[in-house]
Amino acid sequence: MIELKAVSKVYGKKKNTFSALRDVSVIIPDGASVAVVGKSGSGKSTMMHIMSGLDHATSGQVVIDGDDIVTFKPRKVDKFRSETMSFIFQSFFVQGNESCYNNVSLPLEIARVPLRRRKAMIERALAAVGLEEKKRSRARDLSGGQKQRLAIARAIVNDPKILFADEPTGNLDSVTGEAIEKLLFEYNKKQGATLIVVTHDEDLANKCDMQVHIKDGQIASINTRQEITNQTQPLTTRPLSRGKVML
Amino acid sequence: MRAIDVMRRAARNLRQAKGRTILTSLAIGVGAFTLTLSLAAGEGAREYADNLLKNNIDPQALFIVKDKSVTSTDAGNGIREYSDDLSSTSAASGRGVAIQTMTNDDIVKLRSRNDLSQVIPIYSLTAKYVVFAGNSKKYYTPLTYYDATTVSDVVAGSLPSLGNQINDNEILVPEQYLETLSLSAQDLVGKTVTITVSQSVATPSQDEIQQAFLNGGNTAVEELVKPKTKDFTYTVRAILKKPTLAIASNPRLHVSTNAAAELYSYSTKGSSNEDKFIGVTALAKGDPTKAKDDIQNSLGYSVQTAKDAQGLLFTFVNILQGIVAGFAGLALIASVFGIINTQYISVLERTSQIGLMKALGMRRRDIAKLFRYEAGWIGFLGGLVGVGLALLLGFLANPWITKTLDLSGQSLLVFVWWQILVLIVSLVIVAIIAGWFPARKAARLDPIEALRTE
Repeated sequence: MIELKAVSKVYGKKKNTFSALRDVSVIIPDGASVAVVGKSGSGKSTMMHIMSGLDHATSGQVVIDGDDIVTFKPRKVDKFRSETMSFIFQSFFVQGNESCYNNVSLPLEIARVPLRRRKAMIERALAAVGLEEKKRSRARDLSGGQKQRLAIARAIVNDPKILFADEPTGNLDSVTGEAIEKLLFEYNKKQGATLIVVTHDEDLANKCDMQVHIKDGQIASINTRQEITNQTQPLTTRPLSRGKVML
Repeated sequence: MRAIDVMRRAARNLRQAKGRTILTSLAIGVGAFTLTLSLAAGEGAREYADNLLKNNIDPQALFIVKDKSVTSTDAGNGIREYSDDLSSTSAASGRGVAIQTMTNDDIVKLRSRNDLSQVIPIYSLTAKYVVFAGNSKKYYTPLTYYDATTVSDVVAGSLPSLGNQINDNEILVPEQYLETLSLSAQDLVGKTVTITVSQSVATPSQDEIQQAFLNGGNTAVEELVKPKTKDFTYTVRAILKKPTLAIASNPRLHVSTNAAAELYSYSTKGSSNEDKFIGVTALAKGDPTKAKDDIQNSLGYSVQTAKDAQGLLFTFVNILQGIVAGFAGLALIASVFGIINTQYISVLERTSQIGLMKALGMRRRDIAKLFRYEAGWIGFLGGLVGVGLALLLGFLANPWITKTLDLSGQSLLVFVWWQILVLIVSLVIVAIIAGWFPARKAARLDPIEALRTE
């Protein structure tokens, strides 16, 4: 379970300060798929960065499975991240000159997974995204959709409990985007991993168990799937400055 | 991340930027090439010098002089207190300054010592001219005396067994003279050689001139002030083969030590150098170093052993090697900046990749290690390229150098495997140090900022 308790993030010093997040609290149960929705600059990416330990909260707590990662030393946060979570980005961030195999191998190397176990894990991840035939191909020779599938293979190779996806379909056409979405939700359901998607895409957000709407650094609303599917009118939101929702 | 994974990933990263890697490696390769060659040349020169001394100087040989300035590299300030045994003969000292010479008393003292044998004064011999039988021309040639303690080869005639002198009426001619004399070696053996020696004339006093005039008029006075000469005739015993490893490259006529004494005695008679010698050569009966210390302590003479001569030569070689290595060091410093520049560019180009690695939990120190290892690989490749080229050059050029410099099979470039190994390891370390700052920059990148970089 991921729990954000009164998390605030302020950038800058003295007069030049900017509050990216203000007193945000939310509980995300294990295995949920969550869409973090909001306009550009609303603070959704900052929220993801703080949840993943990539950024530090100015105040508040980020409790994952009972541990407040804000109190962790950098080395412990790195280790925690390498063993617990993974990322998918809009820009794929695959290493073009490396083979697909070596791209997927990176998280295993970082997590110091023994060499003898790696091959099977990499092949399984590539097979899960349908790239088993491409394992010796260079990443730069893949299409955009294949690159994102490769990024997913890299993200899931280590069986992370939490998967962060930052605009995963933002650079893809709708057909390819849907295939990527399918892969993400498949992983979420089959592995029971928590999927946190930062997106502008309403269709993608509607497929998630829960939607967290961010506006001006605050939680504007939190909607569960039930609320989303029962709606007949356009999605209404209820203001929740300190919202907590359990599914 | 395990070191082996970092190392493999670093190697792959370099392979992906082949052009840049090769160019940066070449920069360090230039330094490696020069250093390898300077090490090889130094080793070759030392080996050559070692062989040279073994072939030319008896390990028991001692060079004994009274004046320490002869064996010292310090030329002094030119002024010194006068004494009767000072000789100002520049030809004798080769320095053009007054030196304290040995007298017959000194020679006797040294010959009476139990730890020395074959004490021979150093005769500075100068012939006015030399005439070879069968050739009407007069020649100037340098003269010396035969060293019975070293092995010499002949192209014609024969030499006495090692340790024995040639006869006093015999002379040895170097092979190199044959072409000028238009004679074959066989033809020259048995022929006579006449050496004409001038006698230094002391300026006659007024009384001597008056006495000569009274006795024989102007003719007698002219005879008194006229330089005297004397012919000494010898028979060619053998033609000396050109030594393959010779310290002194100029060939000389060799007479026996007794004949040398006679020639020296005649040429210096009446001059300030009469019965004076720069020093002596001798053979130590036991440990040369012990004999050297004993002589220095008891007589206050300056003594050089064969080992000291070797040390002097090695110092010279080391200085030359140091100069070349200095230039190679400059090349290496330049290449270090090349590595720093390349790695900084690499960090900039791979900012988003660094961000991803950090997001996936790669530690700062592992990211720094990745860039340091990349720099280390560049150093290693540069070292291999430089050393490889130097080895290739050595392989191709050694036979030519040996032939051109007439080193008789001795290679000038001698490669020592452990030196090459140390060099490559050092280059890797230097490269890693050069990669330190770019690596630190990479490690300190903010992952969020890095991920925003396209």
